[in-house]
Amino acid sequence: MLPSFEEKSVWIQLISLVVGLALYSIVSGAMMANGITEPAPYVPVFISAVIVLVVVLGLGHALAALTGKPERSDERDRLIGWRAESNSSWLLAVGVFGGITALLFKVEAVWVAHLLLASMFVSDGLKLTLKLVYYRRGV
Amino acid sequence: MTLPGDVPHRAEVVSGPASYATRVRNHIRTLRFLADEMTQQALADQIGVSRQTLNAIEGGKYSPSLEVAFKIARVFGKPLGEVFELAAD
Repeated sequence: MLPSFEEKSVWIQLISLVVGLALYSIVSGAMMANGITEPAPYVPVFISAVIVLVVVLGLGHALAALTGKPERSDERDRLIGWRAESNSSWLLAVGVFGGITALLFKVEAVWVAHLLLASMFVSDGLKLTLKLVYYRRGV
Repeated sequence: MTLPGDVPHRAEVVSGPASYATRVRNHIRTLRFLADEMTQQALADQIGVSRQTLNAIEGGKYSPSLEVAFKIARVFGKPLGEVFELAAD
């Protein structure tokens, strides 16, 4: 069965998230390997990654709209969204808890920031993956 | 009455360990057949869901809300119980 517009949208979001995260990880990983421990130099890298993410997202949706008629989401899309959110948000909570714990142990701010960022990205990636599973497997 | 396209029992719907099937059986495929082979898209448009959602309902992969279930029954002019039924344990 061909995917609905909503399902295509989830694929596009997942791809743009992976592309944005991969770019950020490569550049920030190299910076950390070179001993940069101040958070400020990472900000432009993060902004660039977000811009790339938004561009991929926009291009993907434009392409999806050109190849198929966009449809409004319906009750199944909303249920899948809620269930995926419910089953993935724990990862963000774990990251926040880890970040708070790291602050208590006076871990450098750059590590705490990256832990929070990673948990946010991974939680979102899990949510999108779960959505795709629910679309295919049923819910 | 069993016509081609009747949604089979839950155990038959499950196609593998990764599949999910609801316990709500339906006769939408049969009713579409009897309604001059109404397309999924035509029915989906009338009840306000996507064709993929209707396909999931028809295939037993998604249990619709009461509102959508009533809308489907109304399209075919049938009571709800003649369109949907709960599979036995």
